[in-house]
Amino acid sequence: MPRLENPHELVTLRVRSRVQRAAKPQRISICGGTGCLAAKASGCIEALRAAIERHHLSNKVELQETGCHGLCERGPIVVVAPQQYCYLGVTAADADEIVEQSIIQGRPVERLMYQNDGAERVASLEKIPFYRDQQRLLLDANTRIDPRSIDDYIAIGGYTALERALIHMRPEEIIASVKESGLRGRGGGGFPTGKKWETTRNAPGDLKYVVVNADEGDPGAYMDRSLLEGNPHGILEGLIIGAFAIGAQQGYVYVRQEYPLAVENTVRAIEQAREYGLLGQDILGSGFNFDVDVHRGAGAFVSGESSALMAAIEGHVGRPRSKYVHTSVSGLWDRPTNLNNVETWANIPHIINKGADWFANVGTKTSPGTKVFSLVGKVQNSGLVEVPMGMSLRKIVYDIGGGIPGNKRLKAVQTGGPSGGFLPESMLDVPVDFDELRNAGSMMGSGGMIVMDEDSCMVDAARFYVDFLAHESCGKCLPCREGLRQLLHILNRIVAGDGREGDLELMEELCDTLAATALCALGTSAPNPVRSAIKHFRSEFEVHIREKRCPSLACMDLFHYDINTRLCNGCSLCQKNCPSDAIRGEHKKPKTIDQESCVKCGNCETVCPPKLDAVSKVAGRAQLPEHSPLLRQKTG
Amino acid sequence: MALESEGLRTETAANGALGLALLARVRPRVALLDLRMPGVAGIDVLKRLPEIDPRIVPIVITGYASVESAVDSMKLGAFEFLTKPFETSQLLDTVHRGIHHWGTYAPAQSALAPRRAKQTQTLKSQADALLKSLEAAEEYAELGGTPTALADELRTLETQADYHARQLGAVQKKGKALHDFVADLQAVDAIVTRYQNKRSGLIQILLDIQSKKNWLPSHMLMWTSRRLGVPMARILEVATFYEAFSLVPQGRHQVQVCTGTACHVRHAPELSATVSALLGIQPGQTDSDLQFTFKQVHCLGCCALAPVIKVDNAYYGNPSMKELKEIFAGCDKYAQAEGEN
Repeated sequence: MPRLENPHELVTLRVRSRVQRAAKPQRISICGGTGCLAAKASGCIEALRAAIERHHLSNKVELQETGCHGLCERGPIVVVAPQQYCYLGVTAADADEIVEQSIIQGRPVERLMYQNDGAERVASLEKIPFYRDQQRLLLDANTRIDPRSIDDYIAIGGYTALERALIHMRPEEIIASVKESGLRGRGGGGFPTGKKWETTRNAPGDLKYVVVNADEGDPGAYMDRSLLEGNPHGILEGLIIGAFAIGAQQGYVYVRQEYPLAVENTVRAIEQAREYGLLGQDILGSGFNFDVDVHRGAGAFVSGESSALMAAIEGHVGRPRSKYVHTSVSGLWDRPTNLNNVETWANIPHIINKGADWFANVGTKTSPGTKVFSLVGKVQNSGLVEVPMGMSLRKIVYDIGGGIPGNKRLKAVQTGGPSGGFLPESMLDVPVDFDELRNAGSMMGSGGMIVMDEDSCMVDAARFYVDFLAHESCGKCLPCREGLRQLLHILNRIVAGDGREGDLELMEELCDTLAATALCALGTSAPNPVRSAIKHFRSEFEVHIREKRCPSLACMDLFHYDINTRLCNGCSLCQKNCPSDAIRGEHKKPKTIDQESCVKCGNCETVCPPKLDAVSKVAGRAQLPEHSPLLRQKTG
Repeated sequence: MALESEGLRTETAANGALGLALLARVRPRVALLDLRMPGVAGIDVLKRLPEIDPRIVPIVITGYASVESAVDSMKLGAFEFLTKPFETSQLLDTVHRGIHHWGTYAPAQSALAPRRAKQTQTLKSQADALLKSLEAAEEYAELGGTPTALADELRTLETQADYHARQLGAVQKKGKALHDFVADLQAVDAIVTRYQNKRSGLIQILLDIQSKKNWLPSHMLMWTSRRLGVPMARILEVATFYEAFSLVPQGRHQVQVCTGTACHVRHAPELSATVSALLGIQPGQTDSDLQFTFKQVHCLGCCALAPVIKVDNAYYGNPSMKELKEIFAGCDKYAQAEGEN
């Protein structure tokens, strides 16, 4: 394919791609995101391909492997066009039926469709409650294109914003438009994007850089992964427009190496864009030169911080520096550098195409636009959801997420990852936007939303985040390095049943010091999970400390498994499923657990037939024999 | 010159041909050879050095280090291989060691490699001969009783055969190790070239080495350090800072349990406990057969399938113990035997 010399050639290509797509109106799209691939989607793809060939339909039916559809819990997801039949949890065995019924006869395969509570089957994607209340501005393209095909992206109107920006707009106009739209950085800080761009544009120096931050390190968040995997060109388009507005000649995409598919798709997208002349010299005949390189992050949460990320691109260890001079003025190799999150960049083409006014009218006044959340944890429909800002947490968790499985009670929703906080049930009606969440004692963060039910222990959850942060602290500044270590030490003590009076006050003091004195955002926001957990769930901490008991039976040291010998019928299922041979007793006779060998994996409880329900968690430490080495370990 | 100040007498020649004449006249203890010299190249001087005086200790200096030139020089009997730029102290140290080495180092043949090959060949033929005679002796024995003398002789032959076979094994092992070593360095060369020898590519280079070898062997790091001109301390700083790198050998199969928040609240700790008990290793450990390395990793980004385990490149959501056993057994045969026990 020759390069596109001018906007006209891009339009011609778009028309040609559309005609080609229209020639095959029947299409089976299958989600090839990492979530669905883990649910064995690749087997389904092969089976569907074979089924299509068996019916000699290869010329008529297009099989398309798309990016993430969002409803990962029910993957793999298959959509049949033009009727838009949506099938969930498809297996390779269903391939023939899909092709015979939906393609040849044009009828839906009922049993694969979404079933409402009222047992009514729902045919199309939009009618599933999970999707009904969403506004999928960014995620929509994920379901419509093959991320490995630039032609697909161009066919659905991709790179129109680039054309408009490069040919019909001046850089100042683009920046004014982004400012007007009110777009705020989606990486967590919520800094106005237009203002940031302007700073870099006005910073002295000819050589400037733009960076895509795809070092999505927050545990429990995968929005950026899905966007990069599902629609890398959308981000690339935003980046090129930004580079033009700012006056940068070189861009970098910094992506975690833990996301191999995202790396692969991004690298491929860049090569395709280069081939078409959408990157390189004289883009679309506008005289603008720009190119992009991919840098893989080697696994350090703190490298997502802007100054640390830039150090990493330079080949140094990714440690943050103090930012009395912002990276937008002195960043990569001391040049002005504009860094934005994946999702921020992905919003840019939409702002250019639909106008700043349109964008400003979506969402709330102070936080316009939509936000992608990864709604995960103890929720029925976990997956990626994109909603306009300002929607209440309750609506997201209960209407879109379908509530908590097993009719359990919601205990808290954690937002903002390790820098955010826990929101208890009483705060579920908080509208979700940058400012409201901050007022509520949490933060937007990059968009992780982890639902916890009554089985989750808040002390354990706070310990989890501190453990993560202490491990990820770069060690440069003392408050963060030592403060987090001490916090972890205290929390470990509490969850092990060795908490002391005064521990809570000591932790609060440590949190204050940390927030006031740490060098970068990792440290200053690190107290949030602990503070909010203590604030909203103080009694849980107190039970751990005073009664040496975990009310949720989640802290491994404060419960043990027990088999009720009266209920056990000796079926030996637990014995077969115990990885550490801790279950004693002959076949057909009631079993007991050897507490010394037990690793508390819970397999015995899972496999015990529900009608017997003989295995259960019991509060309190297990009684170990007097000379057990485990006891010595504890006291020593 | 620095060497003079150390009380060493030095003479220099402007090109290779003059150098050879100079060497023949002066017969020094140590000769410093630049690989790139006008006329006769350093490598040729190196080849002809034993003809002049096999006791002279050659030290090769070059500004254009490559694995090939280093290996060639070492094969041709170079005592050391210095890449420019180097510290004066480094040069002095090498020269002193060279002087010390003088006389003890007089290869009968100029090059190490042919000699080793020949040695191998001799051993091989000796071993073959011994085996043949053993066979002959056995046939002889079958024909009719074995006299004591013959039995003794057989025993001696057997011992000798054993000895030579062991020697042969050792030589072949060494040869293979050398071959692997050189291949590793060449791999580094290829990777470093891909990043245009840029120091900023360090993390990317280490990632590539890690994915090729599954860990970062020290000789590859040293060669990277030399090629990029980055001190070893900085390479180790990077290699120890990031999660992705390992400075110890890893198992052939990577087992990773996700400990992201979503997985944590959906029983990742329990999954870890199961995996740990099944594999018999704790998180962060590698088993003694280098088969499995078990790690707890940060969010893998498949939160909807929590708890997630990744074995090599495949992801599995919430596997039962039976499925886990099958997954591990599928990794290779040894595990199958273990899985059934």
